[in-house]
Amino acid sequence: MKQRFRLGVDAGGTFTDFVLAEKDGPLRLFKSPSTPDDGTRAIAAGLQQMAEALDMPVSQIVQNCDLCINGTTVALNALIELKGVKVGLLCTAGHEDSIEIRLGHKEEGYRYDASYPPAPQLVPRQLRRAVRGRVLSDGSVHEALNEDDILAAIEVFRAEQVQSVAISFVWSVRNQAHERRARELVEQHLPGVFVCCGSEVYPQVREYTRTSTTVVNAYLSPVMGRYVQRIDQFFAELGARAPVRYYQSNGGLALGTVMRDRAVNAINSGPASAPQAGLYIAKPFGIDNVITVDMGGTSFDITLAKGGQTQLNRNFDFLRHRIGVPMIHVETLGAGGGSIAHINTFGMLEVGPHSAGATPGPACYGKGGEQATVTDGNLALGYLRPNAVLGGTIRLDQDKARGAIAANVATPLDISVEKAAFGINTLVNMNMANGIRRISIEQGYDPRDFALICAGGATGMHITALAEELGVETVLVPKSASCLCAFGQVISDVKYNFLASAPMRLHREADLTELNRLFADMESRGRQLLQDDGFDAVDVRAHRSVEMRYMGQIHECTVDIAGGELTAASVDAILAAFHARHEALFTYSEPHNPVELVNLECTLTGLVDKPSLPSLAHDADSIREAHDGFRPMLFDDSGRWVETPVYRGDKLLAGSRIVGPAAIEEPTTTVVIRPGWQAELHASGTYKLTRWAE
Amino acid sequence: MTQAIHTAGRVDPITLAVIRGALETTQREMTLTLEKTGRSSVFNLAHDYSNALFDHLPEMILQGQDIPIHLGSLIPAMKAVAGFFGDDIHEGDVIYHNDPAYQGSHILDCCMYKPVFYKGELVFWTVCKGHLTDIGGPVPAGYNPAAKEIYAEGLRIPPVKLWDQGRRRDDVVNLLLSNMRARRDQEGDLNAQFGACRVGERNLIALLDKYGVDTVRAAIAELKDMADRHMRSLIRSIPDGCYHGEAVLEDAGHGLGALTIRATATVKDDTVHIRVDSPPQVPYFINSYAGNSMSGIYLGLMMFAQVPPPYNEGLYRCVSVDLGAKGTLCNAVEPAPHVNCTTTPMETLTDAVRMAFEAAAPERVTASWGHASGINIAGINPATGEQYVTMVLASIISGAGATRYMDGWHACGPLCCFGALSSGDIELLEYAYPIIIHRYGLQEDSGGAGRYRGGSGTVWEVEPIGHEMTIIAFGEGRQIGTMGAAGAVDALPERKLGRLEINKPGEHIVHRQNVITTIQPGERARNVNPGGGGYGQPWQRPAEEVLRDVRNGLVSIDAAATEYGVIFDSCGQHVDAAATAAARQRMNQQGVQA
Repeated sequence: MKQRFRLGVDAGGTFTDFVLAEKDGPLRLFKSPSTPDDGTRAIAAGLQQMAEALDMPVSQIVQNCDLCINGTTVALNALIELKGVKVGLLCTAGHEDSIEIRLGHKEEGYRYDASYPPAPQLVPRQLRRAVRGRVLSDGSVHEALNEDDILAAIEVFRAEQVQSVAISFVWSVRNQAHERRARELVEQHLPGVFVCCGSEVYPQVREYTRTSTTVVNAYLSPVMGRYVQRIDQFFAELGARAPVRYYQSNGGLALGTVMRDRAVNAINSGPASAPQAGLYIAKPFGIDNVITVDMGGTSFDITLAKGGQTQLNRNFDFLRHRIGVPMIHVETLGAGGGSIAHINTFGMLEVGPHSAGATPGPACYGKGGEQATVTDGNLALGYLRPNAVLGGTIRLDQDKARGAIAANVATPLDISVEKAAFGINTLVNMNMANGIRRISIEQGYDPRDFALICAGGATGMHITALAEELGVETVLVPKSASCLCAFGQVISDVKYNFLASAPMRLHREADLTELNRLFADMESRGRQLLQDDGFDAVDVRAHRSVEMRYMGQIHECTVDIAGGELTAASVDAILAAFHARHEALFTYSEPHNPVELVNLECTLTGLVDKPSLPSLAHDADSIREAHDGFRPMLFDDSGRWVETPVYRGDKLLAGSRIVGPAAIEEPTTTVVIRPGWQAELHASGTYKLTRWAE
Repeated sequence: MTQAIHTAGRVDPITLAVIRGALETTQREMTLTLEKTGRSSVFNLAHDYSNALFDHLPEMILQGQDIPIHLGSLIPAMKAVAGFFGDDIHEGDVIYHNDPAYQGSHILDCCMYKPVFYKGELVFWTVCKGHLTDIGGPVPAGYNPAAKEIYAEGLRIPPVKLWDQGRRRDDVVNLLLSNMRARRDQEGDLNAQFGACRVGERNLIALLDKYGVDTVRAAIAELKDMADRHMRSLIRSIPDGCYHGEAVLEDAGHGLGALTIRATATVKDDTVHIRVDSPPQVPYFINSYAGNSMSGIYLGLMMFAQVPPPYNEGLYRCVSVDLGAKGTLCNAVEPAPHVNCTTTPMETLTDAVRMAFEAAAPERVTASWGHASGINIAGINPATGEQYVTMVLASIISGAGATRYMDGWHACGPLCCFGALSSGDIELLEYAYPIIIHRYGLQEDSGGAGRYRGGSGTVWEVEPIGHEMTIIAFGEGRQIGTMGAAGAVDALPERKLGRLEINKPGEHIVHRQNVITTIQPGERARNVNPGGGGYGQPWQRPAEEVLRDVRNGLVSIDAAATEYGVIFDSCGQHVDAAATAAARQRMNQQGVQA
């Protein structure tokens, strides 16, 4: 770190989390209620807390930060609440409806549901205007661009007071001329209106994906632009040394000047930093395969990193909108502490996806909730401390938890309350384990090769059971689990993805000129962007990957490739890596069949030095002082209560070893260590949980 | 206090729920394998495949939410295939089959069955069915309207082992593939099916390792019982009685005139007996063998039941079916030609069953969805000299029916696929085939009129590049419109229909029957699909909703007046409230003239 501090601000829906890292000093965590109408008020409140804690004026803290980093849900919230701007779409005549047809598909799980609504449309059909002019798959112009169509559409947009224009033409990825000309006309005739083109936002093959991605970007960018301007100004006025960096869904930081034109790159900004944080926490243990699991009140977020590399998702549905640009792969399930246990139409127990939320919340909150939730189950099992006080106001009422479980689960199923509570716990664990399968087994990874990283306030009570379900041997629980994403932001790098398309058959004799040209072009653009941002060449990394498939397949496998000029020898290595990846994913490969390369990606990273992890004093005997009595808990469905020792996490020092069954209570989270597991606190402030046999 | 509803008590309810989740995950991972590895566009773009798990009996224990036409027929097909081999089923075997004589749907739908053994005992079957792009025969892609007998349609595959105790029978695989066009695609799809079956097997063995055969079997029995209890409770809510439905199948080109299919649902307590009566089978490819007809029955039932997933065979235990006399349209026997059966007459049969349930439970049943009227394309790619052939899934995407809650989805049909298809990106299609897709969009005025409007159908317009292209049209919905529900009525039925338009210089031909034709560069084929049926009386639809549809180009100004009684002022911008009120009052008294 070049200065004394680095600040991470993760503005979530309910709370804004702050991590203030200090050079060779502690990691300080703060929280303030979010202020969605103007995010700077929440930030000001958080900075005030820091000023009091450090006894230092706010401006002095900010001026002593080498970087101020902001993760934001501005774009996400605008997309969820449909509060983006009015968008007009210029598209190829005949293809105005691709974003409404959505490939003619209805989502699984709702096929026979007569009340499931169609996906929301960000551009109504009357604002999707047809433009004649046609490029073919080889980039040739079949029909010249009709500029009168564009001018007529511009008049419609003007009359309708459109604030943003998306331009997406068929095969613009092979020939950008028509989109460029349309952009010129829009800029000329509609000054002040935001405009973006498909060939810039998502320059890869697939018209529906490209149009949808471009529309989402046009819908959100003006909102993001206003936000960025406000935040930039706020920090500039406090005397910040460097421009604020914003967290992107790709797991890297970006300048506000980039963000305001590419809001689609920020729609999952929040959880995207989790895998970086997980890798950083695992580093002292020599672990570089991690799965992070983050259970909050209503949802459960999962990410995976393998061999130190985060995983990206491309071309998938996010909130029912098709998004092409790479985003950190986050599996989000409706499985949180507030998830409701209920008996379904067939008479079977299910947990979630409906949640009791914060209000009325779980039955045990005593705020009028009558449904049995996961939190009620955990309280009934003894994992949570009865009568514990949450957030200063909510007292956990075990009788109410048991009552809700009895009425909604135990009685209908004719089983005991204990068995029902354990069942709720088991089922939510199964749901979470299935979510982890989606991000691991379905992507060709074996979860047993990974450590689970526990994040979020509620995860600790499930983590050892989850590990058992998946056969995972190692679990890491950082003391900062509840602010993992804000922590991930302060240890992240600046990162830009560049995309291109060059469909071709790949074999030893293939002409590699075009590939080499495209890679060189993407890389030099990225290096320039980072150089302008003040990065030295030695701190810049380029990473390349290609998407490949067997001739005739439609879905591609992503294969990482080495940098530098591609040669016949490197083609052999790429092909071998592709066959191996296909085999791992789908149980077979076809080495004798021709292979096609479709898309290219080049990621440029500007390395930012990292703050160090905490360093706890060593005292294995600290467990004596930390021991805080016993509590009866249930660990199976036998109904046999086990008197379980409880420890205060804030009194434990490095080297402490706790053998399960046990529970560790940290200020914002509880860790349940099931029988057969042990926990050891590492000097970096992380508990390592492993299997243990007498 | 709620009454205890878990009574069987054989498996504890928690283990039961966990095993249910594991079965769902297994089926999901099989589907994902097919989607990601399938070779032909029908597989990998269109998702025209389905996966299911069966137990040792063999009864279906988990039906995916894939294509409805596949899944109903799998239930009898699995039993026919297992019965064919009897004791001769061993670990490592893989069986293949498409023959309707053994309860297959149509011969393009090839199905792989892998018995899963555990400690030497047959415990499960993993089953994967998919539509191959070609199955031999005289017409590329298999749709041969000239066929008078099944022998003229393509390769029939009665149950045959492709793997025998772990050894791939290259001779048999070669025999099959040698009879198909675009061999590499078919081989790739066959591999993808094998991958899916193996992924399923891998998961099921892990489940058995964890819980043991006895517990898993008991849980599965209980899951079937639960589904049975639920369906019975729905049937019990219908008053006992005999309910009739009928639907008319248009003459798609056989010259035999319209054919009427009747269904009778007899409800007695918690059971229902469905009887089908259809005309004698015809020498045209629209005959449905028994397996395929079961799909139509089950889909019609599900449009009434609207049960959330997961699905298993227990759902149908209280349903008995009589498909009518052998040798009839819906209970065809050799040598009836049949390749069009998964859409025609299956969708009309579904409508007849749906109508019977509408008579029984008028509020609950949704309007019908647009039937499939699509095209296959074929030709020689001028760039490679290779032959190509494919069913264009985008060309059969029709409108969904409106429901008692909402307008029908646009572009979500056809009825036989119920939203499970995916039509594929137009750039991927243009990259794979030498074609220009000039239009893939929603069709104005195609959605059925109603308080809730039916979803719009689609139009798909194509031109070949540098070669002559063969267009093979199939389906229906080009003469008889989609059925609405609850008082819906179309004043402009003509606009709701599907059709194939061929546009050549100085020539515009509209086909409303099946046809095989060719077009050249500079000429275009434009295939229009029907919209979904409306729900409720159109004049009850709020005028502002009609106005919104007009602004969005989904309903024309004249259709707003004729169908909905919403009258616009002379400049076409605003609703004339007084004229609208008068028109709607007139409609309410007199109805509309269809």
